[in-house]
Amino acid sequence: MKSENNHAPGGSAEHVVTDARLAAAQKRLAESQGQEDAIDGLREIVANLLGSEELGLFRLDRRTETFQVFWSFGIDLEEYDLLRALGDAGLQSVMRGECHVERTNGGRSGETAKAQAFVPIRVANQTVAILAILRLLPQKMAFDGSDMELFKLLSHQAARPLFGRSAESHKVTEGPGIEV
Amino acid sequence: MSKKILVVDDSKTALMMEREILERRTPYQCVTASDGREAVEKALQEHPDLVLMDVVMPNMNGFEACKMMRQQAGTREIPIVLVTTRGEESYMEAGFQSGCNDYITKPIDSAELVAMLQSYLGE
Repeated sequence: MKSENNHAPGGSAEHVVTDARLAAAQKRLAESQGQEDAIDGLREIVANLLGSEELGLFRLDRRTETFQVFWSFGIDLEEYDLLRALGDAGLQSVMRGECHVERTNGGRSGETAKAQAFVPIRVANQTVAILAILRLLPQKMAFDGSDMELFKLLSHQAARPLFGRSAESHKVTEGPGIEV
Repeated sequence: MSKKILVVDDSKTALMMEREILERRTPYQCVTASDGREAVEKALQEHPDLVLMDVVMPNMNGFEACKMMRQQAGTREIPIVLVTTRGEESYMEAGFQSGCNDYITKPIDSAELVAMLQSYLGE
């Protein structure tokens, strides 16, 4: 299993693609009408722009200092162990605000997951939730530089539409067993 | 007069993305619909030069809308490109049987989309 953190986007031809995707994602989040629509927007962005239909959103519970499943699509996350999937290094990365990408062969038998991404959802320099993108569509081979730009956009702009004002009061200094 | 593309998708994000690509990278005019039924109506009203249409949609899916357009004189000759999250051969075969001219898979690669549109509509 190989892991990496986010990196810079590619050249100018790719940049046009990136701009169109970023503009669409930014507009979709900004125009969300309430939490349900924002969640729908997040699902659409991941499915249409990133190429995954198995994803989950974990929110940090301030009282228990644990990540709880907030919402999922295409996969049952009741038994999913986020912290194990992330590992110590991955967890520290997302708590610092860096996207964490895993290249892996895990998942359903006979299938190749290829890559998973864990995107910190941030408010005021704090990670308040983690978007887990768990399986790519068959035709999508890997995440690329333009995907990393989209991850950054989600990281910085998704909290408000998803969690409303509660996101702004959801500041923590530590997470579950986390020392950042 | 610029050529017109009818973009059909129930996802607001997909519509925004496809509109962004068309506006930034092509001279084509863009009109939109959010399901297959609306697409058939808009195709009859707007006489687009090409239809770019998602498959999985409420009310009427892309395959059904494609078949319906092929049955009507006013829309029979319009090139239809289906957009799908599934790239399997059997799925594509169903698309061609419904009467589509081509297909493209999500996530859309903008260069691939622009090249495909240009192959049907010219520069």
